[in-house]
Amino acid sequence: MKPLFLDPDNLVPLLEELAETLEVVAPIRVEGEPVFATWRGEPLALDADNPLNSPVEFFLPQKEVLFKYVQYSGRYTFSEDPPKSRLILGMRPCDLQAIKVLDEIFGRELPDHPYVSKRRSTIIVVKNCTDPGEECFCASMGSGPAAEDGYDLLLTDVGPGYLVESGSPAGMFILRAHSCHFQEALPEHLKEKERLLDLAEEEIRKRMPALTPEEIRQAIEETDWEEAEKRCLRCGGCSLVCPVCHCFSVLDQGVPDGERLRCRDSCTFSGFSRMTSGANPRASLGERLRHWYLDKFVYIPEKTGMLGCVGCGRCSRVCLSDVDRWSLLREAIE
Amino acid sequence: MEMIATTCVYCGCGCGLYLHVEDGRVVGASPSPAHPMSRGRLCVKGWLAHDFVHHPDRLKFPLIRRGERMVRGSWEEALSLTAKRLKEIKEDSGPDALAVLTSAKGTNEENYLLAKLARAALKTNNVDHVARLCHAPSVAGLGASLGSGAMTNPIRSLLSADAILVTGSNTTEQHPLIAAHILEAQSRGATLIVADPRKTQIAMLADVHLEPRLGSDVAWINGILNLIIERGLADEDFIKERTEGFSALRESVSKYTPEVVERVSGISAHYLERAAVAFGEAPRAAVVYAMGTTQHSNGTDNVLALANLVLATGNVGREGTGINPLRGHQNVQGACDMGALPAVYSGYAKVEDRAAREKMAAAWGTDLPSGPGLTAVEIMEAAEEGRIRGIYISGENPMMSYPDREGVKRALESLEFLAVAEIFPTETTALANVVFPVASFAEKDGTFTSTERRVQRVRRAVLPPGEARSEWEVAADLMRRLGIDADYSSAEEVMEEIASVTPSYGGISYQRLGISGLHWPCPDTNHPGTEILHRDAFPIGRARFFPVEQPELDFDPDYPLLLTTGRSLFHFHTGTMTRRVHLLDRERPGPTVDINPEDAKALGVRRGQMVVVESAEHKLEIEADVTEEVPRGTVFIPFHFQEAPANLLTVKNLDPKSKIPDFKRTHVRIRRAD
Amino acid sequence: MRKDSKSCSYVPLQAEVIDIDVESSNTYLISLRPTDEEDETVRLAYSPGQFLMVSVFGLGECPISIASSPTRDPLQICVREAGKITQGIMASRVGDVLGIRGPFGNGFPVEKMMERNVVITGGGSGFATLRSLISYIADHREKFQDVTVAYGARTSQDLYFTSEYGSWQAAGIEVGITVDMMDASWKGNVGLVTSLLADLNPSPGTAALCGPPMMINAVAKDLVRRGFLEPDIYISLERHMKCGVGKCEHCTMGPYHVCTEGPIFSYDVVGDLL
Repeated sequence: MKPLFLDPDNLVPLLEELAETLEVVAPIRVEGEPVFATWRGEPLALDADNPLNSPVEFFLPQKEVLFKYVQYSGRYTFSEDPPKSRLILGMRPCDLQAIKVLDEIFGRELPDHPYVSKRRSTIIVVKNCTDPGEECFCASMGSGPAAEDGYDLLLTDVGPGYLVESGSPAGMFILRAHSCHFQEALPEHLKEKERLLDLAEEEIRKRMPALTPEEIRQAIEETDWEEAEKRCLRCGGCSLVCPVCHCFSVLDQGVPDGERLRCRDSCTFSGFSRMTSGANPRASLGERLRHWYLDKFVYIPEKTGMLGCVGCGRCSRVCLSDVDRWSLLREAIE
Repeated sequence: MEMIATTCVYCGCGCGLYLHVEDGRVVGASPSPAHPMSRGRLCVKGWLAHDFVHHPDRLKFPLIRRGERMVRGSWEEALSLTAKRLKEIKEDSGPDALAVLTSAKGTNEENYLLAKLARAALKTNNVDHVARLCHAPSVAGLGASLGSGAMTNPIRSLLSADAILVTGSNTTEQHPLIAAHILEAQSRGATLIVADPRKTQIAMLADVHLEPRLGSDVAWINGILNLIIERGLADEDFIKERTEGFSALRESVSKYTPEVVERVSGISAHYLERAAVAFGEAPRAAVVYAMGTTQHSNGTDNVLALANLVLATGNVGREGTGINPLRGHQNVQGACDMGALPAVYSGYAKVEDRAAREKMAAAWGTDLPSGPGLTAVEIMEAAEEGRIRGIYISGENPMMSYPDREGVKRALESLEFLAVAEIFPTETTALANVVFPVASFAEKDGTFTSTERRVQRVRRAVLPPGEARSEWEVAADLMRRLGIDADYSSAEEVMEEIASVTPSYGGISYQRLGISGLHWPCPDTNHPGTEILHRDAFPIGRARFFPVEQPELDFDPDYPLLLTTGRSLFHFHTGTMTRRVHLLDRERPGPTVDINPEDAKALGVRRGQMVVVESAEHKLEIEADVTEEVPRGTVFIPFHFQEAPANLLTVKNLDPKSKIPDFKRTHVRIRRAD
Repeated sequence: MRKDSKSCSYVPLQAEVIDIDVESSNTYLISLRPTDEEDETVRLAYSPGQFLMVSVFGLGECPISIASSPTRDPLQICVREAGKITQGIMASRVGDVLGIRGPFGNGFPVEKMMERNVVITGGGSGFATLRSLISYIADHREKFQDVTVAYGARTSQDLYFTSEYGSWQAAGIEVGITVDMMDASWKGNVGLVTSLLADLNPSPGTAALCGPPMMINAVAKDLVRRGFLEPDIYISLERHMKCGVGKCEHCTMGPYHVCTEGPIFSYDVVGDLL
């Protein structure tokens, strides 16, 4: 399908129409900061930095109910809530790349039903990054600033408005069903898209060059993990905020009736790998930090063919110390 | 999904965070990047601040005691019974047979109303809260020397320090965001001096680690000050222009030579000198302190010694300097500011001061009691002796957090009436006549004041569970039943009243509290708030030096080990919330006693073995952890765990000046359990 | 075993406890039957060495090896009291219902063990996993060459399945038992599993190991000394698990998920990681 053009004045009317049948999630401002939240007509913050709360949260929430259990005469009945139909507006290419990695991990072998069902009921509208944030290094990780595929719709701010490209039948359907808001794209729109994205990429590469797997592996080997352990303040924020991190724990709350919950976890915690006997395969924090890096840069690529880090820079933003990925890698390279 | 901007419920750092809400449930939390202090970061408890909110143990209905059992009652029953019993006790035995213990976890509005309930409705000044157990010495000490008991500089100010002395603070575990600032300052070149008998994480990262014997703080602080004066590093101009009493102080500290200090505290002359020179030569030096300084039978003197140090070096009233008590609870500063203290009203006006009393009486429309009331531990003692017959406790767990647990139990059990407002059942609610289920921080509107005097909004994200209510509504309801005018339609209205009677909060209103909040003093609606105190003048005119002496340290040959208590990163205080958070509980599932390897060897104890820790009066059984983190002769138990409650062993031994118990130094002995 | 094996929704099947055998003071052998009739037909589709995620609703879920062989009824798990979930499982009575999900994991590579010697050796609670393999081999005895079992426990009170040793021997399996510590009632071998192996002196072939890490290391090295090849030594590992399907990442061991690429690994692959 040919690319289209969306005048900024038409964006809100388009969303209002979409909101009639879908829950629209978009970046809005709360107390001054852009966050991904359900849009109820607030001013959009599409041009702001990528919100700190990643939209991956809508596929793998911090806490969700896997099922409820109700006991009667010694037998149980279970109920699961159906997923919500959503549209996420303004996801960035880095987060989209994270979702691709999660699709591999959660979709392979026995597919993870809670994740997969949310994926199936969510439409993803990606916005290319023409103005990268300070901590971003997507280009070095091969995950931005432009999205190549995997989206339902792709927006690029080319100045007078948005260039709109479809990437799936669902995307096409939206363009057709709401065609009154769109016009044909002009050649200069396409040219401008290329120009802006090339510029953005160049700027990101200046901060951190693209690293080969070998260089990264070596950087991990050379890092002094015991030193990192001394400085880490054990907040777990790096893995809780990371869009690729997906470790979770499962627990029951409620007897005899209750809920089985799934909540986000982090392999940096000592209890994460500790067995009931007390034995812990990764007993020291240094070992756990090293494992986290290896998982991102060695194990996930081996399993999925994609890096486990998308260069979104969030870990850097939340680190209480300086042991986040970007900082340690830069240190090791220099 | 909604994102509600609010303030964290755990510690005094006061981080900004978003609660993630989906279908009326809090399902997540994330840091607020625009918050001027936390700047998009949180500690592990903050990241999990949402997790306890919907726990099935949440109290949902009022409970009323019928004999041995607690039975579900209606709000009307619970409130009318409480009002009736409190009134009866007041009429039978006088107002001072009653007491109110407020919550350092409650909002400012709640603390203000509960203090008003005590004074205006019950006519007693017996109102106090856990600040008594933590920073009462700061309020007393800094109040006397500087005219104000609060942290003098904002947290951000640490980034401009050239030297930071951290004493009695396990900062990376208790105040992680403040530790982050301190470590960032260090990476920018500041010299970090940490004084702690234990090898805590921040001590291990310090440039100079002083390891004083428990209880010897006055000695080494005076020793540092003495060296600074001797080397000519004191700030003569500042002393001359802004202080009084220096010559008496100089003479007093001259006794604390490095030899004397080494003998008393164990700190070598070499390290003492390094610390003194680093602190004295720094253009901007700051002192950060917490429980290791205050929780001693001479806690106020320890604070005065630190105040002497910063005053003598002119390190008050400027960026990168200051004396910074780190408040534990997220609103213990606010609870103090709101006058939930026996001797002061909100804003620290004294109840004994006739003008102040008349002003409050006019504002509240009733006469008020004039003599200062009892402090928290004194209230427990009075209850044990039958002088206090009825107590209202808000969000506090004296059974776990006060010293001498058995004494607390006797005290509470002997009361004729005990009402407790709580979010979870605790060891204290188990002893109540009436339990009010109240809202957690995620379920009410109000304000918290962090350790850096930043007044911030806490916002309702979801409805409270079952029939639970905001506690400010409960307090107002009780007041009305007791004949006091207390008609507020919102927490915001309560803050309007607070602002009208509290000069330092005069300019605080919800409208003005954006993401940055406002630092008090903020006297009027045009005032931008005050980040740094004492820039030009002290509230008392000139600051005062108070010479203090190191007391003899007592030792008991029958109980040769010293028990010191403290906290873990993963739990908060009595564990009511954090032990119900799966990930936090998993990190630290149970209690252990830290024993030095040499002591362990002498006792024949290995890691993982059960041991009995005994004081003269009590004993408890606990698992041993053998670690270099504690020095020989000292053992450490965190106080979060009710299965081995450290405060079973601690004794009152109150500081006469501030009535804080001697939590940090108890004589014990240890043997294997088998 | 899942009704809808196309995706994992984490909702377990319900299985009724139909029998409980006390194996030792803190270990029960629990027999289960899925409550839903439809699943009767698929319940036998597992292989020795696989595990189930067993739920006690209200307490949680944990991984437990399947202790029975797919050639026999009923489905059995052997549970030792370790934490609150296993305590909850052991508190159940006949007629109570547990949740089960699975079977998960790769199981022992029995085809590779056919027509070869098999040494099955283990210690402690890990022996429950090996029972599944022993029963399977006993039921297909002709497909294997020499089969030797070498099993060690701390004391005679800790030995599992004592009533079955005779039937294994009757099936043509050589059975050696040892305990670490002597007691009055025990008349058999005392010593480590490695010295038991010295007595039994099995000829090289394939091996299946399960037990505490130190024991496994010692035994694996011993087998190699006896001429066993590292790729022929299969070890059943355990890890903390929450999902059982390779998503939650708790059970990772280097690049491997113990729940999907294990729990059975050959010694050449995991020797360094032990």
